[in-house]
Amino acid sequence: MTLLLVGPAPARSSEKGVDVVTLSARRRLRRPSLREAGTALLFVLPCLLLFVAFRFGPAVAGVLLGFTDYTIGGDASWVGLDNFRRLIDDPTFWSALKVTVIFALLSVPLSMVASLGMALLTRRVFRGVKLFRSIFFLPVVTSLILAGVVFTWVFAEHGPWSRLMGAFGLPAQSWLADSTLVLPAIVLVSVWSRFGYGMLILLARLQEIPAELEEAALSDGASAWQRFRYVTLPQLRPALFFLAIIETTMSFQVFDIVYVMTGGGPVRASYTLVYQLYEQGFRYFDLGYASAVGLALFVMTVIVALIQRLTLGREE
Amino acid sequence: MTDTLVPSATPAAPPARRSRRPHRPQQASRSWRVTRAVLLFVAALATIFPFYTMVVLSFKPTGPVTFPDSLLPWPFSTEAYDRLLGAKSMLGWAWNTLVYSIVSVVGVLLLSSLAGYAFAKKRFPGKEPMFWSFLAMLMVPYHVTMIPTFIIISELGGVDTYWGLIVPTLANAQAVFLMRQFIASLPDSLFEAARLDGCSELRVYVSIVLPLIKPVLATLGVFVFLWHWNDFMWPLIIGQSSDMRTLTTGIASMQQENVPLNMLLAGSVLAFVPIFMAYLVGQRYFTEGVTTSGIKG
Repeated sequence: MTLLLVGPAPARSSEKGVDVVTLSARRRLRRPSLREAGTALLFVLPCLLLFVAFRFGPAVAGVLLGFTDYTIGGDASWVGLDNFRRLIDDPTFWSALKVTVIFALLSVPLSMVASLGMALLTRRVFRGVKLFRSIFFLPVVTSLILAGVVFTWVFAEHGPWSRLMGAFGLPAQSWLADSTLVLPAIVLVSVWSRFGYGMLILLARLQEIPAELEEAALSDGASAWQRFRYVTLPQLRPALFFLAIIETTMSFQVFDIVYVMTGGGPVRASYTLVYQLYEQGFRYFDLGYASAVGLALFVMTVIVALIQRLTLGREE
Repeated sequence: MTDTLVPSATPAAPPARRSRRPHRPQQASRSWRVTRAVLLFVAALATIFPFYTMVVLSFKPTGPVTFPDSLLPWPFSTEAYDRLLGAKSMLGWAWNTLVYSIVSVVGVLLLSSLAGYAFAKKRFPGKEPMFWSFLAMLMVPYHVTMIPTFIIISELGGVDTYWGLIVPTLANAQAVFLMRQFIASLPDSLFEAARLDGCSELRVYVSIVLPLIKPVLATLGVFVFLWHWNDFMWPLIIGQSSDMRTLTTGIASMQQENVPLNMLLAGSVLAFVPIFMAYLVGQRYFTEGVTTSGIKG
């Protein structure tokens, strides 16, 4: 899972036009020599071949595959929209879609609030602040499989979590065995594993806010809440938007935790879209149908990102 | 989607506030400092708790695990580790993970720096469309390309082999993009001077480009290592025999075979230690990677 915060492309000196006399600008006037183009292509070639074979090709094939009935070892034939019709009639798909959306609706806000809270708490320099930041980022570098193994015990029937709930007067039960509580349990694990990432993103942005802004608000007599609401939060907006997109995309792709902690159960209560893709593709070897699930996921991700752009991402 | 992700940080720009005096001591009131300390302390405990649990329970003799008694450090036993390391498969998985991670790091860094250098500083036909199509691959979700990639690898006979595991992951669009951005920010004169001195292109790459991009090599290297060490889904579908499992898929398979908890956690500790060490040593690179380019851990 690799996502990226695209920085402004460094301006190339040759595009500025002002430095006509520099070496690079002069070089621009002549055509690339055959030799230069040849070596450059040679440098790009290994990457290009790999991309053609394992990125461009599969990206196209991934779309086409959704319209075939390809199964492992079998021949593929074109079945048109059959896979998608099947998808629409498939209650498992709708339940997986519902589970995935609920998971995202719960985990994205929770994780962002945790990220923001921890970023604000570790914003100023004080003794031990680095240690706290390091601790909060540690789960981000930890494999979700390892986390899943530990948390399976944490959420077990007589484990720490059910005892904690019992202490609050709630039923002391295993959340993983309960079809309504299994998703919140997985959400908690997911938030634990990723809020440190958002914290760092927001911290970086917080440290760029000019101190004068807040000092001005302070001398105008703004309360802490007002300074946060009218000075800090608007400044954080682009970073929060970026985080919302990344968090949503990640949530839609949740798989590892589910695989280790619940296997999609109980009774499909934590059966997500990527889990369905995995099961159709690599347990039943129905790769055409699995590709259709993948495409549905892709379309869903794009639609939600567009919605987020229109709402959160708009300029004020 | 990518062009909407407006940066919060300018690449390689140091936090502006660093240079300034940490100011406003009068603002942090005593009650706020106490509240903050309490909140942070609770959050830190909750964050560390699973790690503590993992380590303590892995040093228990096999038997029923109860809460809270089992969270005490005693009785202490290395039984789980003895059994795990005696079984051999764990060492094989660790070896597979190491091969997968190290070869991928070297491969990705080499290929992406070569391509990134050419994209940043060379002119050749088809450069722009080629770069943009690389970039477009950042937007195609992994799960769409994963299935065809699996089919290609399995047709080529790469299931259950190291090359089948490693080769497809070497096509890393994000790495090429980061390299290109970083190298583009270096002054052209550095490369021109060497070329005028009669250096061959390969020589320029080895003795000028590589030393200059050390910081980005380190940051990217740390993340590529992390991605591969913790990778799950690709090793799961490509490594089908038990010999070809990595630590993550191996531990997941042990869990499904109802291996006792202390052994599962001992395996988890062993899988976690290298990442933890890397984190202790190279924390700076993790932090920089996230804050300057938004790489996801």
